[in-house]
Amino acid sequence: MREYSEKMQKIASDALEKKEVSLVIGWRKKDFWWQSPVAFVDDAAQARQLVWDPFTVNNPIKYLLDQDCHEKTGVFVKGCDSRGINRLLQDRRLERDRVVLYGVPCDGKVDAAKLKKAFPGQKIKQVAAAGDQLSVTVDGGDESVPAKEYLLDKCQSCRYPNPVVYDRLAWEEVAPRQVSEESRFSRVADLEQIDVDERFAYWSRQFERCIRCFACRNVCPACNCVTCIFDQAEPRWLGKASDMGDTLNYQMIRAFHVAGRCFECGECERICPAGIPLLDLHRKIIKDLNGYYGEYDAGLNPEDNPPLGIYRGEDPAGFDES
Amino acid sequence: MKKVAKANLVEVWRKLSAGAKLYIPVDTDGVANFLSWQEGVAVDLETLNTFVPPKKFFYPQTETILRYEIGDELKIEDFACQAGENTIIFGVRPCDVSSMALMDRVYLEDPVDEAYRRRRESTTVIALGCKDPDETCFCQAFDVDLGKAPGADILATDTGEEIVLNAQSAKGEELLTLLDGLLIEATSGDENKVRDAQDKAKSGYETVVSVQGLMEKLDGMFEDPYWEKLYKRCIACGTCTFVCPTCHCFDVQEYPTGNRGERIRCWDACMFSDFTQMAGGHNPRPTQKERVRQRFMHKLNYYPHQHGEYACVGCGRCVRKCPVNLDILEVIKEIGGGAGGL
Repeated sequence: MREYSEKMQKIASDALEKKEVSLVIGWRKKDFWWQSPVAFVDDAAQARQLVWDPFTVNNPIKYLLDQDCHEKTGVFVKGCDSRGINRLLQDRRLERDRVVLYGVPCDGKVDAAKLKKAFPGQKIKQVAAAGDQLSVTVDGGDESVPAKEYLLDKCQSCRYPNPVVYDRLAWEEVAPRQVSEESRFSRVADLEQIDVDERFAYWSRQFERCIRCFACRNVCPACNCVTCIFDQAEPRWLGKASDMGDTLNYQMIRAFHVAGRCFECGECERICPAGIPLLDLHRKIIKDLNGYYGEYDAGLNPEDNPPLGIYRGEDPAGFDES
Repeated sequence: MKKVAKANLVEVWRKLSAGAKLYIPVDTDGVANFLSWQEGVAVDLETLNTFVPPKKFFYPQTETILRYEIGDELKIEDFACQAGENTIIFGVRPCDVSSMALMDRVYLEDPVDEAYRRRRESTTVIALGCKDPDETCFCQAFDVDLGKAPGADILATDTGEEIVLNAQSAKGEELLTLLDGLLIEATSGDENKVRDAQDKAKSGYETVVSVQGLMEKLDGMFEDPYWEKLYKRCIACGTCTFVCPTCHCFDVQEYPTGNRGERIRCWDACMFSDFTQMAGGHNPRPTQKERVRQRFMHKLNYYPHQHGEYACVGCGRCVRKCPVNLDILEVIKEIGGGAGGL
């Protein structure tokens, strides 16, 4: 992993030194083995802190919405992050010539919780990638485990590990993973099997845990409205009381608002502190849209027309069907 | 001191729930929360901390303050004096027990919050000593002894096959008397086991930080460039504040319908952009920088100035849950302590 980190550091320090950009957004290491938060580097000398490791999962692209003070910002983008760039471009929330994209092909990121479960009663000190293995340092020494078994769910079903838009690649592309439609939508298919009442009970139990922190919205690259309707005080569209009706109101409207624009980065589900399987909602909508309007992958081309952004004569007239 | 075999705990819970609302850490879909005990629920006494802290029992996320009806005369139904049903919380971690004292300073000192007081007084807290702190636990910094919980009515300690129960208040004594037939008298051997369990837990800290002098150091840091650097990562969600056992800021909202309506109080988060939004449009904390600074200053400077104690108990929830890894442990480590009393 070190050579990958070094490549990122060189790219960032060169770009800052040559004043191609005045800010680079990447990742750095924090206190614990599972923490690799986003890093903001505006000085070539600080580029040394940048890292690439099994936990550099946070999507950095939404921070681009807040970088007006920088003429040009450099940002490292994984496959999922790069689709977020297209999301912002298509939504007219980003100017392409104000960003420099450094593509970082990605083998998937590790789920710390899965790894902890694999070492019960032991304290993990450090985790490093070594080819397709993870070298895990625990109290008793180093142990090697196959990386792919410990990837985040969202990474296991990732179909675009290589950046789809970039200005330069930091390293060679990885082999695209074969993800069958069946496995991509397997959780959705399972839910579709359950009868309506039971399904409602299932989702009620999930959303019962929602604390309305809005982390799912705030992390979502498709949730990029200048002012979110749910933040408006006057008129107030969403009651502040944590009642189930309003929670479902919020979650449903958000799911429908990102319909056809969600590109399955899965950050909502990953960061939900209540462990609500939000990606299932979004995948259900994607599955339905694919059925109604033909296969579509959001975030691949900023110039195309998303399924709900255009009307074609042959579109199913769902409203007329009783 | 009494004890009960773990296998017989369910009888204890059954008995407790017969006379009160009993809440206990329950696992739903891999997330532990204090939920109402019922036969067959997936009780999880091994969980580090519940997702939502027990503050919700005294200070619920949403509560009705009053209902009103405007007719020939104004009718007001006050809900504060209705609060407080007999409640028992089983399995509160020592850090969370400490947080209750911090919340009490806010809600029980003049002016007393009536609803909070009623709920607090009608609740019996059964703490459960920790066995194995996580790397994200730093309660030692705030003088929490993770095997003990002096603020609880009863301290429960896991000694392996059994749970030893020690009453620490009159309320606690009363509850143990109620459970008389279900409990066995603990022996001096059990007392030793409790002590061993506490010592073992204490030796398990991986993260050791000091907050000595931190309050004084922050006195001069309101305009420090540190906040500029820190806040950038924040995505302005409310996770840290809602999972924090000591965050206590609320909003009051009206739900009017025609000539009647309801006034509620609900948790609010200083991380939200509308938290300090004024009716006229002005916002004294215009950017996330001021909001992030506020949260840490409140816990590590303003509250301690007012109450002589830090408003953090080192439970580590924010460390584990923040989507972008921005937490109070980082602030404590980076700013660090120095000379000073607190």
